[in-house]
Amino acid sequence: MSDDVIQVESLSKTYKVSEREAGFGAAMRSFFRRKFKDVEAVKRVSFNIQPGEIVGFLGPNGAGKTTTLKMLSGLLNPTEGRAHVLGFTPWELKPAYLRSMTLVMGQRNRLSWDIPAADSFLLNQAIYRIPDDEYKTTLKELDDLLELGPLLKKPVRNLSLGERMKCEIAAGLLHRPKVLFLDEPTIGLDITGQARIREFLREYNHRTGATILLTSHYMADVTALCERIIIIHHGQLKYDGGLANLSRRIAPFKLIGVLLAEPAAYSLAHYGTPVENEEDADKHYIQVPAGDVAGITARMLAELPIHDITIADPPIETVIERAFNE
Amino acid sequence: MHIFKLLKTFLQVNIQMSLAYRADTVVNMLLNLMWLGWELLSLSIIFANTNTLGGWGPGELITLLGVFRMVNTLMSAFIWPNTEKFNASVRDGSFDYNLLMPVDSMFLVTFSRITVWRAWEMLLAIGLLVSGISISRDLISLPGFLGFLLLVISGMLIIYSLWIVLIALTFWFTKFDNNVTILQALMDAGRYPISVYPVWLRIIVTFIIPIGVATTIPVQALRGELAGPQVLLFAGVGVIGFWLASRVWRAGVKRYSGASS
Repeated sequence: MSDDVIQVESLSKTYKVSEREAGFGAAMRSFFRRKFKDVEAVKRVSFNIQPGEIVGFLGPNGAGKTTTLKMLSGLLNPTEGRAHVLGFTPWELKPAYLRSMTLVMGQRNRLSWDIPAADSFLLNQAIYRIPDDEYKTTLKELDDLLELGPLLKKPVRNLSLGERMKCEIAAGLLHRPKVLFLDEPTIGLDITGQARIREFLREYNHRTGATILLTSHYMADVTALCERIIIIHHGQLKYDGGLANLSRRIAPFKLIGVLLAEPAAYSLAHYGTPVENEEDADKHYIQVPAGDVAGITARMLAELPIHDITIADPPIETVIERAFNE
Repeated sequence: MHIFKLLKTFLQVNIQMSLAYRADTVVNMLLNLMWLGWELLSLSIIFANTNTLGGWGPGELITLLGVFRMVNTLMSAFIWPNTEKFNASVRDGSFDYNLLMPVDSMFLVTFSRITVWRAWEMLLAIGLLVSGISISRDLISLPGFLGFLLLVISGMLIIYSLWIVLIALTFWFTKFDNNVTILQALMDAGRYPISVYPVWLRIIVTFIIPIGVATTIPVQALRGELAGPQVLLFAGVGVIGFWLASRVWRAGVKRYSGASS
């Protein structure tokens, strides 16, 4: 296990948050005597990540994803627990550590608005002490993958959200980090934009062997990129493992879809629970326990006038939603 | 030297930024020239009626005005734009990126914005200094001049330290945009020699609020009013102030990473 790039051991973070009731009186009281409440954002979370892995970090809003990423990148000190990334303790903020990792936050800007991204890149080159030839090679590579070309010369404020995100990501990768923490890198982008960033991350991981830990609200990001996912909810680790296993563990059921000759004449309810499936509206779908698929299918084929039949896994969104609510 | 290379890049980037706002730059340069005219006019009105102001002659006052303007220029070139950027970056969270850069965060906060066209004002200030000193050159000795230089640097260090402490307070009181206003108010007290103020105000200006240190005291050294140990004492205050300020800054950053979300 010693070759793990990221090691997290019962990491916890508790915030002190001032709180008050609504209303004027409460506001006055709180001005003079403030009440604080402890909020446990992350509770004893542990996991390890190996070099070159792309891991999806999932959880509903407020689950503690960003807090964990901030601790791993070194921005936040944990209340308890330990973490090692590339052998460093992140919150010591050692320059050698900062030079070998990056944090990209989809909702925050690192580039200056008034100047073209190319100029901000030069600033990063100076800050990260990137030698000229290495800088040129990296920039060319990023340009190939992200098609930055003309974007680099326009002031950042004139770029579209998707274009800006491409530049933000490139800015975060100029120093060739070995570990990437990505917090919602595709937020607010349209489908093509999301797909492009996704494609880029896959290719980047492939070429450089960088380790990537990313959070996202878009399941497509996760299903396309991550073989492994970590789910946290209310600050606690709920699941850590393969995407495929998750269905088996959290939602051990399958969907059977049938196209019937006379749909109205038959009720499917006594074979399984009827469910909607928007992707395939022609068929009628039922949900059945995974172990009973063979038996139920055989009965349906014998008893019903079936034109066509499909057996499918439940959509990953449903599975993850179940995992959150478990 | 990495630091100088970084400064050079910051300067280049900032020159490009100010070139993006040409009209702004020209208007500001003209306005500044008008202000200088106004200040010289008020001085000449004062000296039409009297020979000294609080015991200071015209050459010394022009020197004082030069130091005041130089300090002010450095503040307008570095401190004000960076305060603005700092406050905004704490508010919108992009300060996080500053902390994650492999460069001292205090350095980044001080130099990432530079109002480049202020170099013009710097020239004016140096012009005032040179002419002030040459008007009263009969009164100036070499040790006095060296003490003056030392104290100008120390005075700037004190103002800088005060600024660092003020903006670091933002880490404790998340909403503290007034940090600029406070420093600006303190700065304006340095325009006239400390001795024109009543004693109680003089004490505040010298000790509690060390702006006078940055303007009047160097010129006092130039006039030969300060003994060697006094000069060293004031210079030491600058160094200690800077050390304290960087401690406060570190504590603030620590506090930021303990509390932000």
